[in-house]
Amino acid sequence: MNNTTTPKSNQMPVGSVQCENTSLNLLKANDFVAKAIRERLKDICVINICSSPGSGKTTLMQETGKLLGKKLHIAVLVGDPETERDAVRMREVGINALQIVTGGMCHIEAQMILQALDHINLENVDLLFIENVGNLVCPAAFDLGEDFRVTLLASTEGDDKPKKYPRMFLTSELMLVSKADLLPYVPFSVEAVSTDAREVNPNLEVISVSSLKGEGMETWCSWLMDKVEAKKAQKNRT
Amino acid sequence: MHETGIIQEMFDLLQEEYPTRFQEIVKVQLEAGLLSNIQPILIQNAFEAYVLDHQRFQGVELEVKVLPILAFCDACKLSFEVIFHRFVCSCGKPSDKVVQGEELRITQIIFKSKEHE
Repeated sequence: MNNTTTPKSNQMPVGSVQCENTSLNLLKANDFVAKAIRERLKDICVINICSSPGSGKTTLMQETGKLLGKKLHIAVLVGDPETERDAVRMREVGINALQIVTGGMCHIEAQMILQALDHINLENVDLLFIENVGNLVCPAAFDLGEDFRVTLLASTEGDDKPKKYPRMFLTSELMLVSKADLLPYVPFSVEAVSTDAREVNPNLEVISVSSLKGEGMETWCSWLMDKVEAKKAQKNRT
Repeated sequence: MHETGIIQEMFDLLQEEYPTRFQEIVKVQLEAGLLSNIQPILIQNAFEAYVLDHQRFQGVELEVKVLPILAFCDACKLSFEVIFHRFVCSCGKPSDKVVQGEELRITQIIFKSKEHE
């Protein structure tokens, strides 16, 4: 092949060829592993928390841990490209947390979760959070074996995110508008963002929360309690 | 998104599925839905780079077909095309039933025909 000036996509295969139609899914390896995780975590409610960097995932985990820690056994797997800082922050408030350092990768893949499960004590755990890498693009494409996907959108980020990053909002069950205590100070309309987000995903639930001031935390915690109980009920049925 | 990883996986998958014939592949066709977050130009570039690094795949070409997003409207009992990620049918009813657009798959492989070599 010395025909380097013609882009490959414009070249036709020369000579006699055999054409085979097929349907091989890429990312199927990830989906296979995600299924294995679901099989393994039959009695634990798994929530995949996604958002941009800095929208308050870790603070939300800390405060949720403080509020629900007496009622539920909570564990957190937290992904970041580098450092153990988030896991340390969560252990400081008594949450069973394991850091997944993705080594620069922009998302967590199911395989990383499966490996991490061997290194975290999940005995009696009712609720497992996976705190994804801060990124609204790539994590949307990777099923981690979760029961629910929750996307945080901080009031400081602007209310145009659901239209800019549709797949993330399409694949989420709940959108949490975080840093709600700042709503009076920023040009962010919860109503507009909910309308936009529901054009992408009509079934998306929306809750506004402020981890620091406590607003909406009760609604969020009762949402979680419902999901944990539903998962247990489902397991008892089968 | 992470096109280089996808290309890597594509070649791994081809070798796994066609252990005896993958050397004869001359063309691979991918279908990528608009929701798969795949950029055709980036995936072509990732592909060219991979082939440069892997001599045994020299001469293989890639075609990426982009599929629009289709959703199903329960009221009209019809699929409609989702434009600008507005999952609302022309009748005004929202829908979350994606029938097309999330695909990321190999749909066609062309092999050099052995008998005529």
